[in-house]
Amino acid sequence: MASQSGMVDPAIFQDLQARVDEDTAVRDELKDIIQALEKHNRNVSFVLSRAHSTPVANLPEVLKAAEESINTVVDDVSKLSQAASKLPYYKFNNMWSRQMQSAVEGLLLWGWLGGYKYDGGEIKAGRLLTIEELGEILKIPVNLKERDEFHLTLEEYLQSLISLVEELTRLARNAVTLGDYERPLLINQFVKDLFAGFQILNLKNDSLRRRGDGLKYRVKDVEDVVYDLSLRNLLPKKE
Amino acid sequence: MNQNKRKRDDTMADAGNTPTGPFIAMFEGFRKELDSHHDRRERIIKASRDITASSKKIIFTLQRVRNVGQPLPPFVHKANAQYWDTIAKQYSSIAADLQSLNAHRYPQITGGNQEFIEALSFQHYLETQSLLSYSEAKEKIAELSQPKIEQEKTEQGKEMETLPEDSSVVPLTPEDYILGICDMTGELMRFSVTSMATNGKLPAGRAKATPVSKSPPGDDKMEIDSAPSTASQAPSEGSQPRTVLDDLRAIRTQLEMFEAPYGPKWVSELETKKMPVLRECVDKVEKALYGLTVRGSERPKGWMPDVSSDRRAEVESY
Repeated sequence: MASQSGMVDPAIFQDLQARVDEDTAVRDELKDIIQALEKHNRNVSFVLSRAHSTPVANLPEVLKAAEESINTVVDDVSKLSQAASKLPYYKFNNMWSRQMQSAVEGLLLWGWLGGYKYDGGEIKAGRLLTIEELGEILKIPVNLKERDEFHLTLEEYLQSLISLVEELTRLARNAVTLGDYERPLLINQFVKDLFAGFQILNLKNDSLRRRGDGLKYRVKDVEDVVYDLSLRNLLPKKE
Repeated sequence: MNQNKRKRDDTMADAGNTPTGPFIAMFEGFRKELDSHHDRRERIIKASRDITASSKKIIFTLQRVRNVGQPLPPFVHKANAQYWDTIAKQYSSIAADLQSLNAHRYPQITGGNQEFIEALSFQHYLETQSLLSYSEAKEKIAELSQPKIEQEKTEQGKEMETLPEDSSVVPLTPEDYILGICDMTGELMRFSVTSMATNGKLPAGRAKATPVSKSPPGDDKMEIDSAPSTASQAPSEGSQPRTVLDDLRAIRTQLEMFEAPYGPKWVSELETKKMPVLRECVDKVEKALYGLTVRGSERPKGWMPDVSSDRRAEVESY
């Protein structure tokens, strides 16, 4: 035992233990917030999934319901932002990144369907919420470069855009089922525009690249829907 | 940013060779940001790789040392100077990339940091027969992160030119320190086994010195004497000098007692990879020592296949 005290100063490991324990405490605190966020994200996607089976005329009701769930998500995110802003962002961000993407996916779909700044009347679909608009809705900074605070990252936004495309691809088919032949055209153009955007990015071999590579298949899926419609003369005539 | 995503009809206005569309301008901004992120990442990967390679070479040289708790022989300094230069160059080149928001963004640096801690703590051990502390490790990396000019200045007037506060420093996480120390135990094992094979005995410190002065725990800045200045040391409890095996066991005990949290990736690495290797290292040295103790004296003189002339075949009983 005498030798032990000579080699290792016990203070070294006491100090390390304290640091690691501190991290654990931080993680525990964040975990609760993130779990709540996860639950509320599911609510949003549950409500918005009705868009696949709801004709456009009845959509305002869905969007209103979604907005209620979205508000709880916004609350969760600001709680998370408060707790996490004290910490080095990239040390913990993998804890919440997935859920932040889910939150943004919900918002993007809601915004595309016309929920953003909707004030009655005919809803206007096809809007892409920018990362800045998402920051306003969620009340958090976005895409920070220097300041070490909680924020929505560019990568999270891009990941969510890919999810939006996947969701819209589904919607294109389901719209046809509901007898809506206009929506696939709108989706077709939107998805192509987004795809064009992704194509000018230099993506490295990461998850963004892998998922981004899948976009072309979604574009093709939507094209196929439009093709099926045009073949059968179902496309709405241009006025 | 741009609010150009409302109208569908003006999107397909002209389809030339350059990509057009309502989102192109926005994505061009994204591209710039992603590119600078990837460039930074590449720089860090490259630096980390170079730091790893140089650290490995430093370790190779250090493995040719035969004594513990003594200043390094000149050949080590001569051989390793260039590697230290490389490491300093690499650290200072990426220090700016790892600041504020980006401090924890690039896990690619951990490879280099861990290997460097392995080299640094091994050298520290050979010189002082004590474990390099986390704060000492951080200080060393901070020093190396300074641009070259700064370094020369501080060498001349160390007192006056304390490092500027705002200068950027490559951060060292506690986990990289711990994992680096784990790796270093492998070096201690090799060092012990080589020593036993060539000198016929387990390396140990000097009998009189208890190299680490004990100060109350919690004192972060505790001095671990860098030179074997025994003047101020209390006489050691036992007369037997500590061996490398004693020290290996001491590190093992500390790490076994360390309560790693559940969850983070480095912890599973520690538990599934590093700790088993560490246990094995202690085991290997113990086995070698057992062999030396039991059979060592039976061996005919000159049995051991090495060419060094100052080999001592006899082993003191342990």
